Formats: sequence, structure tokens, C-alpha cells
Amino acid sequence: MSAAPGKHGAAVPDETQLIGSGLKKRTETALSDEFLRNAVAFTTDKLRGGRLNAMSEFGNWEQWRERGRAIREHTIRHLDYYLAEFSDNVAKAGGNVYFCRTAEDAVKTFLDIAERRKAKLVAKGKSMVSEEIHLNRHLEERGIQAIETDLGEYILQLAKETPSHLIIPAIHKNKRQIADLFAQEAGEPFPPETQALAAYAKRKLRNYFLEADIGLTGCNFGVAETGSITLVSNEGNARMVSTIPKVHVVVMGMERLVPTLDDLEVMLNLLPRSATGQKLTTYVSLITGPKREGDWDGPEELHVIILDNGRSAQLGDPVFQEVLHCIRCAACLNVCPVYRHVGGHTYGSVYSGPIGAVLTPLLQQDMKEAGQLAYASSLCGACYEACPVKIPLHDMLVHLRHRKVRMGLTPAAERAAFKLYRTAFGNVKLYRFAAKAAYYLQKPLLRKGAIRSAPGPMSGWTRSRFFPMKPKRSFRERWAELQRQLERERTREQTEAGGETR
Amino acid sequence: MRRETGKIYGRDAFIAHISGKLGRKEPLLHAPERLFRGVPDFYEKIRLDESGKVNLFAESWTALGGNVRVVKREEAKEAIGAYVLKVCAEFKVNRAVRWDHAQLDSLDLDDSLAGAGVEVVLWRENGESEVREAEPDTAEDSGSVKQGKGTAAGGMAGRAAELEEAADVPTANGGGTNRSRREPLLQAAEQCRMGIVWPDYAIANTGTLVLLAQGGRGRSVSLLPEILVAVFRSDQLVTRMGEVFERIKADDSQTNELPSSINFITGPSRSADIENDLTIGVHGPGNVHAIIIE
Repeated sequence: MSAAPGKHGAAVPDETQLIGSGLKKRTETALSDEFLRNAVAFTTDKLRGGRLNAMSEFGNWEQWRERGRAIREHTIRHLDYYLAEFSDNVAKAGGNVYFCRTAEDAVKTFLDIAERRKAKLVAKGKSMVSEEIHLNRHLEERGIQAIETDLGEYILQLAKETPSHLIIPAIHKNKRQIADLFAQEAGEPFPPETQALAAYAKRKLRNYFLEADIGLTGCNFGVAETGSITLVSNEGNARMVSTIPKVHVVVMGMERLVPTLDDLEVMLNLLPRSATGQKLTTYVSLITGPKREGDWDGPEELHVIILDNGRSAQLGDPVFQEVLHCIRCAACLNVCPVYRHVGGHTYGSVYSGPIGAVLTPLLQQDMKEAGQLAYASSLCGACYEACPVKIPLHDMLVHLRHRKVRMGLTPAAERAAFKLYRTAFGNVKLYRFAAKAAYYLQKPLLRKGAIRSAPGPMSGWTRSRFFPMKPKRSFRERWAELQRQLERERTREQTEAGGETR
Repeated sequence: MRRETGKIYGRDAFIAHISGKLGRKEPLLHAPERLFRGVPDFYEKIRLDESGKVNLFAESWTALGGNVRVVKREEAKEAIGAYVLKVCAEFKVNRAVRWDHAQLDSLDLDDSLAGAGVEVVLWRENGESEVREAEPDTAEDSGSVKQGKGTAAGGMAGRAAELEEAADVPTANGGGTNRSRREPLLQAAEQCRMGIVWPDYAIANTGTLVLLAQGGRGRSVSLLPEILVAVFRSDQLVTRMGEVFERIKADDSQTNELPSSINFITGPSRSADIENDLTIGVHGPGNVHAIIIE
């Protein structure tokens, strides 16, 4: 798959929509949006604070983290076994399972189910995978209405935008903008007050729950030993869409499994604490098959679509297999200095932040455009520190950059520069000469001890910061001199001390 | 309706591909060995006595904005009846839906509620038609259950049919043998402002109710109304989630199958999606009460 256009539903890709080529432009737009920057910083601070509190209150966090990592590692290493066990048990409980290698397969499978049920209305719980496969667009093309029922996702659907955070999708919208969207939808004005807005959404969405032909959800964890689908939510919309419509369709990534209920307990302790700082989300539902005989509610049919879509390419990879351990808590977004400044849309794809910068090029198997995201990071490692299953995202970002270089996808000037750099740093004499030369070469550019405006390819650096001046004497030279000076002082002290005792 | 085994599509090639990627010639057929499973040992060893669990549950549940009432076994019937009536009066509830559950039956709640003019919908077949005709809705107290079109006063079934007809969106009405029978019940529950349940377990350290769906224990009862009342005995409390799984597995050891839906409910429905403002009661109940019988 290439960096497909149409992330925002447009037919013709303009450059800002290309993941890599538009990255700079989108970054500039985001950085000049004061509200966005404040909103993202405020919310991520709050989420990060919540996580830190929850961690310290819970205690032994490192042990939990290590256990989480180990469970994920074990599951992914034996994914063939657990997928077989999981699907057997879903079927035993009366659900159908569809294994889909590509996004196209998954979309087609869903459309077939919808067609068989003559569905006109699909009520959706939050599902990143459905965003990944652009299901809404395909449904729209078939004349099937798909309604997002998570409050944040509903707001974005009205605004015709995509999520900019895994947990708080409409993190970038303010009350005034939301009130305007709702006013347009309802045909009457709304005060920009949270309670009034939420009440409207509740009333509006209640009808959709009751009338939907199909309820669609993602899956936070599939439990292999029981064939259960675990859904985690705070609002209750995931419960609604998996309880009221006659048909429940689950779309899940193939890696989203845990072996047993015991392991699920670990994940349910890690996920909410890492995501929002809650001990547990308000609702956790374990769904095992469709409704049973004698049940008066619950769906009559359960369909589980299991998607590969680039995931299996990471299996067996010594570096990237671990990216499949991710439980989508967004803790890495909240601590990332880059995400906190530019928000999610800048990443130009469904998954944003450090996990998005790694996952997007891997899933799309596109290093040229999507691979550019590996540079949207300072490599500080805060993402790894925050990750509840210890995915070394910062290392992966370096490996992605390496891969991009190996594939010859970096600009010619950059390659030439690094070649020069390698030659100079690989030879002491050459290095010394280059260092001396740099001191004299910089002179025409210096203003007040720094390069404030550099020409050509260096201007990218000096546009937003100064380049420090290369001092006349290198650290090496100064260090050697310092050593000599210390030696001299020591000899003097010894002589003086010797004089006194005598 | 006899349950059929579901179908699995496209599995063999999919899994063979994964096995290949993982460096195996054949898919793994036997359960891989594990050195550990589940929570760390220290956590598994934590045990609280019953009053410890009651206190911890109450602390967690109220921290989330929930209400807790602990009553003595001897006075349970009166105390619970009075409490539920008080909540009904406070929020002008005139209709409640409750699980068809022996423990709730024994509390005689229906009579005391009926005495106060609150009709009770039982979650069972024809539960809605056993309901006495309600007082007509007043604009004031029907505000929050009003569903746009089709919620005018009338019998429960009539109201449901109206909703069906007047709906904005066409509904495909195919399949499902007892769909038509379950529909009025769902619509009736939708018109209730209070749901009353008897959770199977409650978890102390997170403040969580655990509801296993089955027959008269409908999922919608704890979901559709805006007020949730959960009544349970203190000996149904466990310390942590894992104990619930142990007990469910022990209970289902013959069938080796979980109920079709297990719901863990931890406080009121909430959202932070609008400017990160905490909003209570977005889709599920925003007003939640736990009554513990000691």
C-alpha cells in the first residue's frame, strides 16, 4: 500500500495531505494555532498527571509494566496458536469470524454483512481500525449511514475531521466550535456550555442506538481461552452499540489478544491507568457470542473481523515485532514533546504521536512518505518511559531513520553531508583540520557570537534558532591545557607543604 | 432458538502466513508453555476481610461520584424500600425497570414503589404489559427520556410501535425469532428513568459492580435509564477483579462457557471529550447508587 490519498476524504491529494511531504506545512499550521497548542498542552498535562498519580497510588508500577510486557511478548510470539484458539471459541459461542489480510478484504466483509441484513444505519463505537480502513467512506459510497457515537468522534464526524488523539479524539476543538457544529445539525443555536452540548448529543444519539441495524465496535482485548471481546469505555456508547442493534460487528487488529482472563486482569489494570489515570474505566464489557436463548436483549448475530493490514510484516522482525505489543493507551502521546506542540493532525494519519510515527510507516509499508514521520521526534525516550508494556519506541524511530537511509530515500544533499561528516570524524588529522577550518569559515556569518541566519541548506536550522559559534579552541585543547595547569599547581602545593613541615 | 456454532472464514491461510513469519513450518497446535500468567504474585496475595471490602468499595465508589448505602440484614427490606423511594421522589421518577431476580423479588420493592405511584417494568417476556397504566407524563419529568418523535403518552407497546413508525431512519426488520417480542420490552425500558439490578459480584479495590447477563438479568436495565440502583450482599464483594474470574470459572466448570455478556460498571457514565470538561451521564446512567446489605 502506498501513502494513499483521501485521509480526509478528498479525491485529489494535495501536498499537505501526503504524510511526509506535507509534514512541514502541517507542523507550521499547528504551531501557529494558539488554541490548538494550549488545548493539547492542557489536556495532555492533565492525562499525564492522572497517569503519574495512578501509578504512584497503585505501587510497584515497574513490576506491573514488566508483567504487561511479558504477556504481550508471549502472545505475539505465539499469535498463530492464540488466534486459532480465540476464533474457535468465538465460533463455539455462536459468533462468526472472518480473517482478512487487507483493508479491502475487511471492508468487503463488512459490506457483505451489511448487505445481507439490508442495513441502512450503522451505529459505531470507537474503533481505530475502522478509521484505519476508512470504513465510513466506503459505507457512505454504498448509501449506508454510519454514525459515530463516542462524543468526541461524533463531534469530529459533524466537523468532517479525523481524530487527533487516541483517547480524546476532539482534543483540538473548543466549546464554541462544538456549539456551532451542533447548531448547524439541530437548526437551533446552542450555548457553548459542556452540559448543554453533551445533553444534546445524548438525546440525538439515543435515537441512533435504537434504530441502528448494525452496531460496530473495535476490540480492546480478545480473550483466547473464552473467545470474549473486551470493550472498554467511559461513556457507555460501546455498551449501547453492542447491546441494542440486532447485529454486532467487531473489527479488530489481529494482535489484539490476551491468552487468558488472568492476563486480561493485568491489561485492565495497565490500560486505564496509563490512558486517563483511572483505576478502571466506567464500563468494561466482556462479550462472548451473541445473545443466548432466553435473553431479552443483546445482538442476535456477532461477527468478528480480524485484520492483518501490514501487521504480519512486523512478525519475525528483530526490531519491529514489539510494535504489535501496543495496547493503544496514548500515554506516549501525552508525554511526547513533539506531539504536545503540534497535536495529532500534523502526523497526517490515523495513528499519531510516537506510536503513530512508528506504526504508520510500518503498517503502510511506505518509507518514502510515511517514513518521514520518524523524524517527528526528538528521540528523548519519554515515550518508552511512559509505555505500560515497555515498547522501545525511541529505538524504533532510530531504526526507521536507518531504514530510510539504507533505502536511499534521504535527499542527496543530506547524504553528501553525512558522507563528509563520516570521512572527517573517521580520521583524527582530518577532523582537526576540519575543526580549524570551520572556525575561520564561520567568521563572515557570525553576529554576536552565533550564526543567526545561515545560507542554503542550513537556513532550516537558523530560521527557528541560533547556531552556536564554533570557539577558537576545541574542548580537547582546553582540556589538555587544564590538565597541564592542574599538574603545575599540584607540584607547587607539594613543594610548599614540604617546606612547612620541615 | 437453538444455538449454532459460528463459522470461521479464511483462517488456514491467514494463520499459516503468521506461523511462517514467526519462523514455524507448521502452525503451533499445542498451548505454549508459560512461566507465569496473570497478575504479579504480591497482588494476588492481597486479601481483605468483609468489612475491609465494604469500606474500600464505598470509598472507591463515592470517589467516582456514586452513592453508597449500607443496611443491616434485619432491616434490609424497609431500609432499601425507603431509600429507593427517596431517590424516586428526589428525581421525580415515575417508572423504573428492574431485573427479574429472586433476591430483588424478596425485597418487595414493587409494592412500595407502586404505592408511591412509580410503575415497575419487569425485565421478562411481556414484562411491559404487566405494567399498570401510568400517570400521564408531565413535561417536567419526561424531559430527559423524551426521544424526539414518537414518545407521546400511551400504552407501552403502543409507544414502541409509534417509535418504530415515526423513526427518522428506516429499519430493516429481518430475522430474529423473538425480536418482535423483545422490541416492546426494550422500548419500555427506554422509557424508564431508573434501573434496578442485583449484581453478581462487586469489586472493592476499584469500586466496580459485576453484572452477568442472562434472561431476566438484562443488559439494558443497567444501561438505558439515567439512574442506576444496585443492591447486593456484602459477601458478594471480592477484593480484586481476578477473584471474579475465578468464581465465574468455578460456577461454569460444567459448561466451560462465560455468560454472553459480563459488564463491569465503575461509577457513573462519564466523558471528557468536550474541552476536557468532565461530563457525567453521557450515554449510560449518570446517577448511581450502591446499596450493600451487611
